[in-house]
Amino acid sequence: MPDTNAPSNSIDNLLPPSLLAKLDRMELVSRKIFRGRMKGERRSTRKGQSVEFADFRNYVPGDDLRFVDWNMYARLDKLFLKLFLEEEDLHFYTLIDVSESMSFGTPSKLHYAKQLAAALGYIGLCRSDRIKIEPLDPVTAPAAPVLRGRGQVWRMIEYLNQLGASSNVPLADSVRNFCSRNTGKGVLVLITDLMDKSGYADALKYLVARNLDIYVIHVLSQEEIDPDLTGDLKLVDCEDDDFTEISVSQRLLDRYRGTLATFIEQARDFCSRRGIVYTMTSTERSVDRLVSRYLRQRGLVR
Amino acid sequence: MSFFDFSTIPWYQWLILGIVPPLIFLLYFLKLRRSPLQVPSTFLWTRTIEDMHVNSIWQRLRNNLLMLLQLLAVLLLALSCLRPGCRSEELAGDRFIFVIDQSASMSAKDLSSKKSRLEEAKARVKETIDRMTGSDAAMLISFSDRAIVQQSYTTNRSLLKRKVDLIQQTERSSDITEALTAASGLANPGRTSDRESQIDMQVAEGRDAILKIYSDGGVKEVPRFSFGKLTAEYFPIGALELPANVGVTAFSLNDQLESDGQIEVFARLQNSGLEATKVDVSLYVDNELFDARADVDIPGLGSTSVSFDLSGLAGRVEQSIPIRIQIDSPDVYSQDDQAFCVLNPPRLSNILVVNDDPKYLQLAAKTDRVSKLAKVQFETTDFLEQPEYEKQTTLGFFDLVIFDQCAPQTMPACNTVFWGALPVDGRWSKSGRTDVTPIVDVNNAHALMHAVQMTTVHVLSSDLIEGPNGSVSLVDSVEGSVMMLAPRSGFLDLVIGFPLIDYNASGDASVNTDWPRKLGFPIFMQNLFNALGGQSQFAQSFSRKPGQLLNFRARLPYPEISVTSPDGQAETVQARADNAYVFGNTEDSGIYEIRPSGNQEIDQLIAVNLLDRRESNLAVAEKIELGYVEIEGTRSRVPARREFWPWIVMLVIVVLMIEWLIYNRRVLI
Repeated sequence: MPDTNAPSNSIDNLLPPSLLAKLDRMELVSRKIFRGRMKGERRSTRKGQSVEFADFRNYVPGDDLRFVDWNMYARLDKLFLKLFLEEEDLHFYTLIDVSESMSFGTPSKLHYAKQLAAALGYIGLCRSDRIKIEPLDPVTAPAAPVLRGRGQVWRMIEYLNQLGASSNVPLADSVRNFCSRNTGKGVLVLITDLMDKSGYADALKYLVARNLDIYVIHVLSQEEIDPDLTGDLKLVDCEDDDFTEISVSQRLLDRYRGTLATFIEQARDFCSRRGIVYTMTSTERSVDRLVSRYLRQRGLVR
Repeated sequence: MSFFDFSTIPWYQWLILGIVPPLIFLLYFLKLRRSPLQVPSTFLWTRTIEDMHVNSIWQRLRNNLLMLLQLLAVLLLALSCLRPGCRSEELAGDRFIFVIDQSASMSAKDLSSKKSRLEEAKARVKETIDRMTGSDAAMLISFSDRAIVQQSYTTNRSLLKRKVDLIQQTERSSDITEALTAASGLANPGRTSDRESQIDMQVAEGRDAILKIYSDGGVKEVPRFSFGKLTAEYFPIGALELPANVGVTAFSLNDQLESDGQIEVFARLQNSGLEATKVDVSLYVDNELFDARADVDIPGLGSTSVSFDLSGLAGRVEQSIPIRIQIDSPDVYSQDDQAFCVLNPPRLSNILVVNDDPKYLQLAAKTDRVSKLAKVQFETTDFLEQPEYEKQTTLGFFDLVIFDQCAPQTMPACNTVFWGALPVDGRWSKSGRTDVTPIVDVNNAHALMHAVQMTTVHVLSSDLIEGPNGSVSLVDSVEGSVMMLAPRSGFLDLVIGFPLIDYNASGDASVNTDWPRKLGFPIFMQNLFNALGGQSQFAQSFSRKPGQLLNFRARLPYPEISVTSPDGQAETVQARADNAYVFGNTEDSGIYEIRPSGNQEIDQLIAVNLLDRRESNLAVAEKIELGYVEIEGTRSRVPARREFWPWIVMLVIVVLMIEWLIYNRRVLI
């Protein structure tokens, strides 16, 4: 199903200027320290060529004489090498669920996911991190570019605008496909509604196995949180045309809310057991608020 | 009698009603056409439904609650169609006449329910109306001393019940005759229900009808009455045991003229209870307590009299004073606990005698009694020509004018006596002349001839008199009437054929009758001044009964007067041609105040009292005799069919409201 709420090719649609101003001051945080591929703006476990002193070590033949601490040699008559901290980039992956269920809501969950991905991506690009935004659609989605540097913002926006809800591939299959193609370590944000009848557990397990720093952002529309339905209805699933017949009553609505609360609780529990940070959000909550408050609380940005 | 009545609707309607519940059942179990709605995922909904469909018949019941409520409503409606009820008897017959006594005694509250007898009677009639079936017709008559057809034959039961509610308590006495005549006229064509009409318009074929009389039985006897196609049933209303009641059954002032200025008021107290009792009695003069008697003994089923001396008021009475007697001990019947009379200032009648030889009449008018009653003015026939006569007779100054062997040009506006002459209005005539005739008949029943003996009176010659329609002969000779009385637009004209003194052609006088020498003559003159002189109207106290027309004259001929009822309502009454006033709205007993219009000064007071021993006697007759038939009372109260269907229909409405609420508020499935 095409995304009826598709934004125009304007950055304002995904990243309004007011949000950009706030995002400029933020940076992505990883709870783990990974090795980057290129020189970046964050400290690495590797010793390198930054200005920040790290340690000394004994000289061994072959070492670069430029790093020998001659003052130490004068005092102790031994050769020591000064080690400096290396500064590297961060691998930041954003996986967006583009199943048809994401096209519901006002604004649609997909649009919300794109906004969020753009915001996080922008933060990463500003800090010279390695950004990769990938839709969970191994078949039809265009190949995801790897972006780095503030200059790539437009490219990121353009790419996001191309994305539409189309895939009905199970979440687990998409994630496995992603894992097989991407071997790097880093931070991964999965933006999904978790509405997969085959379950979300396998998908998350694949990601956990990759030893990534994982954040799950569970997006639900207001229609899902508090459905405004009346009468006798035949509910048709937009993804697989499965249907359920209901006669709406207060009791049924209460039961539905109970089921939803249980579902969210189970997801939160599943994630916390596996070191995944889980955040549930409604499309009615602004991306600005989500990023600047909730994700900051959970340590994804600072 | 059965609890259910299957005949309320025909069989095919039952069939239709029977199909409805299975239809509702089927409709609910047919696949409901649901409107499709696309949702992001049915994932959570499926889980929700699974949770709800886990088990239990209760869940199923809850799911179909609306259906169950609808089924319940239909079943209740069917039940109400069965017209459930209990404790009823079939009401035999299809035409009923309900006759309800609304006389004064029906206001007694001697029933254990503390309801008045009339309320009880009304409740019973309404119960019986409820028992009527759809095609039954009934009419409703209420009676006191007159009958009112409250509702003619109708099958509309709610209309009948409404009319029953409209029946009001009166303070009148009981006379069922008129009610029976009305009922009988409708049931038996050939008789008229309109007593005034001589011709009965047979508008419908006579049909059997059941006459149901709800009364306490204290009604006047109905001597000649046959029921014809009517079947009478009598339902005595009132307590089984004779209730104790003390009432005033007579209340009057003495004749001040007789008793030489001494004023006394008498009251008779009647105890209709079985046991002797003591009561306190108070007398109010001009609405202030004047005197009282404590512990007046009255024997069971007996009566006693009390008197109060009002002589202290003698000489001070300048205007009419209301007097009220009150029994202070309360009982079940309050109507007879007080009575009223009026003490009027003494007033002399103005009487003019026109003749040229007033000797005999002067003698007769000189008696003590007459001089207390009237001021008699003697004039010769010349006076008739004078303008003063014209003025005084036109304005009604005189109460009575006696023309002795003369006649005026026009009839005066007052009562007249023509002695040896005829009135000039052309209605009277002489049919002949009789000589030396014996008096054969005297109408002693008439007030004028009361205690007047004439059998020994000799009359030498007399004219035989023919009066207009409505004339009453007071004295008859062998050949015809020699004294006649006839009304003339509110006045009375008495014509006596024989003059006391006869004049022959040459003008010589001779005695025509020896009547003036007899004892009867002054008595006749006294009666004359009393009855025609208007003295009876201005006597010390006279009382009317509630509902009776008040026909009276004021002291001066006002064009209109205002009558204030005991309840304070004032009504204006126009004077009639004869300067008399007629006031009919006398439903309440008490004192009616008469004032000239626009004037606060009271012209006179008139007391209205029931003072009816039969009404004060609260004994409930177990049978009543109507004509030739004695009707036993049916004491046992036949309970009306107690209908449950209105309650069931109300329950249906409640069920439907709950169903509506559930459907709309989605409280439950």
